[in-house]
Amino acid sequence: MTAPVQDRVRAILAWVVIVLLAGPIGTAVWLGVAQGESPCILCWAQRTSMVLIALVGLFVLRYGPRPRYLGMAVLLGAFGTWMALRHSSLHLLRDVGQGFSVAIFGVHTYVWSWVIHWTVLAVIGVLLLLLREHDAAGGAREPGRVGRFAMGLFVVVVAANALQAFVSTGPPPFIGQSDPVRFSLNPRHWVWENGELAGRISLRGSWTIPRPDPSAVDPDPAHGPLADLPVLAVKGWERLGVPLDGALGDLARDPVSGRVLAVTDRYGVYLLDSTMARVAHHVTLDPGFSIDLTPLAGAAFVGDTLAVLSTNKSHVLLRPDTAADAAVEWRHFLATDGGVTELRRSRFATMRARQQYVLSLAFDPAANEFITVSVPSPRHRRLVVSRFSRSDFLLSSEFLPELAPGLTLRGADRRLAEYVVTGAAVADGLLYAVSAAYSTLLVIDLQARRVRAAYTVPGLERPTGLAVRGAQLLIAHPDGRLAVLDRPAP
Amino acid sequence: MEFLNFLIILSAAWLVWRRPERERLAFRLLVVACALMALLFFIGTHGSLVPGVNL
Repeated sequence: MTAPVQDRVRAILAWVVIVLLAGPIGTAVWLGVAQGESPCILCWAQRTSMVLIALVGLFVLRYGPRPRYLGMAVLLGAFGTWMALRHSSLHLLRDVGQGFSVAIFGVHTYVWSWVIHWTVLAVIGVLLLLLREHDAAGGAREPGRVGRFAMGLFVVVVAANALQAFVSTGPPPFIGQSDPVRFSLNPRHWVWENGELAGRISLRGSWTIPRPDPSAVDPDPAHGPLADLPVLAVKGWERLGVPLDGALGDLARDPVSGRVLAVTDRYGVYLLDSTMARVAHHVTLDPGFSIDLTPLAGAAFVGDTLAVLSTNKSHVLLRPDTAADAAVEWRHFLATDGGVTELRRSRFATMRARQQYVLSLAFDPAANEFITVSVPSPRHRRLVVSRFSRSDFLLSSEFLPELAPGLTLRGADRRLAEYVVTGAAVADGLLYAVSAAYSTLLVIDLQARRVRAAYTVPGLERPTGLAVRGAQLLIAHPDGRLAVLDRPAP
Repeated sequence: MEFLNFLIILSAAWLVWRRPERERLAFRLLVVACALMALLFFIGTHGSLVPGVNL
């Protein structure tokens, strides 16, 4: 750069520092002191990052664009962008108007932090484009009038930040808080603490959810959380008369036609006739198309429509269709007999069962609703029954079943959420749910929202599905065997 | 600790402005302030280091 160009770049840089100080950093102080918007510990870190970027600007003004200054600015921009991303993730998915802290021009401060740090990276890139090798050499330079103003403003603004930080977070060793109180000069209102140090270190926190594995549960009925359950005996065993492409994940039976729907953990969907010995239709879903499908674990009939569910609560609706368009369906299926059309592929969204997998799907024709039962994990020990409208596929209701009189837990530390429901079906207004853990059948009253009865079923071997066949229950196992039980009377 | 960090930053800025010959010390203070900021952010997010969304 020639000297005039260099002077111009330095003047621009000085103004960038001034804008940074007077804009986001100064505004933050004003919001805190005058408006009572105290920053949380994450806000403090991001504000500090902006201050440090401004400080790097002062270094460049004083000593020239040395590589280590630019390197430090890039690191601060990159880390600041990461901090803003991490912070924003707490709030971006909330409902309208539910952001955290103040919004400036309709955008909350944690998003502004994102914009500012990203802009810093862009500015550094431009500066590097303009830089010549000899520009980085030399000793200290006079910062010029604008530069001196920037330095003075820096001291004033950072001193104000220091004052606010002293009041809001205290002297060492105290640190900032997640939920800071509003600014006050009255020491009685000051909160100085180290609450943020509590808790263990985790990479993913509440998102640390292992994939459900029914094969790993304890099948012994004697170990279940409910005490003194009656026994429901297996009356006999049947077997699907067709080979499957994977482990059987669930089973459903159409009460009108008697046809049976079977799904596998390898995305196989089989429509069988009432003898379960002949395949009427078969497809293998493409699990990577459009939305991700995890292994299939739920099946239900919705009239003539076939509903299948994967463990991540993604669902697919299919229909036998003699006029299926092979060219269109190629995108949906890895394999097909040519007689099936995909109608819909989407996801169920839950509230209480969020961050939980499911291993079952039922359809309640009386309410026209799909039903899932969540699988507990070490992070989220809840057994949640979720109902979704057939009309818009959104959550209709959700509940954690209570226990009916006569049902008791073995101890105060036991809970219903120890059951791992792997199959469910609705009949006579009741939800029949089989748990692979402790080989137990739960009968849930959907109106009363409670477990009406429960039975241990000795002989089950970690089942993966359940279907209703008139007065019988068919409890499916991964290898295609079906335990036949008399369905408990309503 | 945020208060302490701002004092460190102020010290570095003062050196840059009024004692430019102490550049090495000022830069070291800058590095220390960056590290302290990162540490405080780590403390604030140690329960879930990465964003709490589908990754």
